[in-house]
Amino acid sequence: MTLHANDTTTRDDHTPPIHVEEGRLGKLVMARLKPNQDLTESVEALCRQHGMKTAIVRGAIGSLIDAHLQYATPNGPREMEINGPGVEILNVFGEIGFSDGQGNPHPLQGVVADTDGKIFAGRFVRGANLSFITIEITLQEWVAVKQQEAVPA
Amino acid sequence: MKLTNKTAQAAAGTGFVEVRKFLHAGQQSYPRTLDLEADPAEELRITLQPGSSVGESLRSVLARYGQRGGVGRMCGGTARRLHYHRIEHTGDASRPYDYGPPHVLEGVITFITGAITVGQNQDGKVLLHCHSGFIDGDGALHGGHLLLDTVEVGDDPLIIRLCLFSRGAFVVNSDEETHFSLLHPTPME
Repeated sequence: MTLHANDTTTRDDHTPPIHVEEGRLGKLVMARLKPNQDLTESVEALCRQHGMKTAIVRGAIGSLIDAHLQYATPNGPREMEINGPGVEILNVFGEIGFSDGQGNPHPLQGVVADTDGKIFAGRFVRGANLSFITIEITLQEWVAVKQQEAVPA
Repeated sequence: MKLTNKTAQAAAGTGFVEVRKFLHAGQQSYPRTLDLEADPAEELRITLQPGSSVGESLRSVLARYGQRGGVGRMCGGTARRLHYHRIEHTGDASRPYDYGPPHVLEGVITFITGAITVGQNQDGKVLLHCHSGFIDGDGALHGGHLLLDTVEVGDDPLIIRLCLFSRGAFVVNSDEETHFSLLHPTPME
């Protein structure tokens, strides 16, 4: 739905609309990933298992055998391989969503430290960030109470 | 660290990626993911003043809420002193990697990221598991396993946000696969 009413400000008609979804946070899922489990795939499996169409990461701590992080460049995605074992996860952010039928290939991003204490950040590459000793992770469901609508910029 | 440019196929998550696995000395157990549903209980924004001991201060706050699991993030602030650990090779076949001796930072330390798991031992005593990244007074970046009981808040107050749960908590249990004592999701009354 695109809202035009009460839009009295001058704007460029080519400005893309802003999509807004109203909702609330629902149930929590707390988990421990054992060794050799992929971070992204495990989070997605947890969402499906607990019937969550959309969830956000509330917290994640643990270690990886090696980290594979990705970022966008003008020449396409570039990947960093940070070798462990014992790359520490310092923080994870992101949301998992299945409601639009299109999965995000790399929905989680975050910050890690290697075994020299050096810090790296990027998007966690699906299937390439395996738990080393443990990962503690907590997800929280996002429950949309009003379907997404597009409002003028 | 290696840098590579990935093809579009690999970027879409459909290509082959070299991924190493690690076989620990102990017995594997299944399922490979342990999980539990919990209810959100309290959302807290905590401000710790200069000179405060972070671990002691957080424990005094958490004591008001009973036995709860929780997670949180550092939202900004500085420290005057802290100890953190990095994982090192031990040479012990039964536990070949473990935390090495503490790395001690003093002076002016700026937090840039940090995550906290609020756990407990079998007796209900609060355990704070924190990984954090920070910048020392010379501009060098550091990151690792931060011992919150060693952190003294610096001149800028430290802001921490916590989400506490009911019905579940992270409780320490020994893990026969890795031979570490680790936090596990555990149902609570």
